[in-house]
Amino acid sequence: MLGNGRDWWQVPRPVAPVLDVDSLMKAYPKQRALDGVSLTIEAGEIFALLGPNGAGKTTLIGAVCGLVRKTSGTVKVFGIDLDVDPVTPRYQMGLVPQEINFDPFFTVRESLRIQQGYFGVAPDLARIDELLEALALTSKADQPTRALSGGMKRRLLIAKALVHRPRLVFLDEPTAGVDVELRRDLWAYVRKLRAEGTTVVLTTHYLEEAEELADRVGIIDQGKLLLVEEKTALMKRLGERHVKVRFASKVAALPAALEGTLSTDGLSYAFVEQPAVGPRAAEVLQRIFSAGLPVADVSTGSAKLEDILLRVLKQGKAAT
Amino acid sequence: MNLIGARTLLGKEVRRFLRVPGQTVLQPLISTSLYFVVFGYTLGGRQAQVEGVPYVQYIVPGLVFLGVANNAFLNASSSFFITKIQGTIVDLLVAPLGATELLFGFISGAMVRGLLVGLLTWVVALFFTGAHLVNVFETALFLGLSAYVFSVLGLLAGIWAEKFEQINFFPTFLMLPLTFLGGVFYSVRGLPEPFRTISLFNPVVHMVEGLRAGMLGLEHSSPVGLALLVTLALAATALAWTMLRNGYRIKS
Repeated sequence: MLGNGRDWWQVPRPVAPVLDVDSLMKAYPKQRALDGVSLTIEAGEIFALLGPNGAGKTTLIGAVCGLVRKTSGTVKVFGIDLDVDPVTPRYQMGLVPQEINFDPFFTVRESLRIQQGYFGVAPDLARIDELLEALALTSKADQPTRALSGGMKRRLLIAKALVHRPRLVFLDEPTAGVDVELRRDLWAYVRKLRAEGTTVVLTTHYLEEAEELADRVGIIDQGKLLLVEEKTALMKRLGERHVKVRFASKVAALPAALEGTLSTDGLSYAFVEQPAVGPRAAEVLQRIFSAGLPVADVSTGSAKLEDILLRVLKQGKAAT
Repeated sequence: MNLIGARTLLGKEVRRFLRVPGQTVLQPLISTSLYFVVFGYTLGGRQAQVEGVPYVQYIVPGLVFLGVANNAFLNASSSFFITKIQGTIVDLLVAPLGATELLFGFISGAMVRGLLVGLLTWVVALFFTGAHLVNVFETALFLGLSAYVFSVLGLLAGIWAEKFEQINFFPTFLMLPLTFLGGVFYSVRGLPEPFRTISLFNPVVHMVEGLRAGMLGLEHSSPVGLALLVTLALAATALAWTMLRNGYRIKS
């Protein structure tokens, strides 16, 4: 009996993170692709890993998925240290690799069936049909994979990564080369996966994609993880708001108390609201109207994830 | 062990070569049959006798071996190498397939192709020489060992090679001399010294002699030769398993 009046089996077991990376290092002869990366990913979240080309995103995913031999550090998946047991966690993992690959000897349906088998899953034709439907590949199911377009091949990679119903999925640039309509369908499918409890780690060059899908964002550059934060908190903390005002006639000068910039022709005004610093956009607009300036049009906009990414990367470079 | 995974890989390997039967089965069958016609008939093989057996009949075990060894080697080496080149190795590395499952899938797939071509070569030979199978167990043992050893060697080549030039190196510079100097078309027992003794270090000699013993009842396979083949099989398997486990030339 424990001191709190409960027996030991009644104490809820701490749930291990789905992915726990600690001090991960990958060194090549001339560079460090990963330089002491530590990261924890919880069950059921969509985590977007962002960074420029060569930042270490794919190396990090590769080290977790068994494609890259790490130099040092530990990786635990579902609480299992991959140094101790590299195979068991893989039954529950899926990967959409960045590079398109396909086996020209097989049809789309055969490729999916083979992939199911690799993961120790007995034939589940209903699952294959479901994925073919979700990824708009049903009409190509019995075509050889070499007959698919680039976008279709990428969708096939997504289907292959999901065909064994993994609990942890890595999507490394999953929508590169996929048209806009299908990209949005894929986003809906990723949200459905999360709703079913699947954890998704995503890298993408379409920052709109990360903005749309991610619960948390990690920014990596030169092998170092610069930032990990909830996406909404990050955008609130670092996201600026822009205010643009067009005047009906030329304005000679701004009122003294008004921050912002008047254009040289005196016909427009711009203000950037810094998070938690200086006046808010609403206050600025109020002052403009109070001053009786000849306002013709007002537009506002928020900073995109892209702006935040660029700023964090710039700060990271300045710090090194 | 991931039994479904290993079985799936075997099934995929077999279906892969059966998708192109002209290239993987018919072509080697034709070339081996041509050896049979040229060496057994047109070069006076019909009249000649070796160890009391018509030459045309004497070379059948060697030609069956040639079909088995070449095709087992080529299947394993090209399949693994192409898997690396076209990037589908990722599918295998991400999946819960350990070194044992990968070994099983690639080796057994290659053995199926090698044994299939060997069997068809023997069927073709039946039309020329009639059926000769003195000892089924001995024949099966040496066929199986030959197919296994060359499948593992092929897999080693596929793992090691990083360029097409490297993968093409083995058939020309390793397989061809080993097989042609391995007594496929002659008896190494009749060679003058020191070539006879040197030849006995060539494992192909013991494979071919074992097959001749099983199929024709000639030249009893020596226990030393058998031990050499088993040792070679075990050493090659251990090396391939270690390379796969460590991701040698597979993982970055």
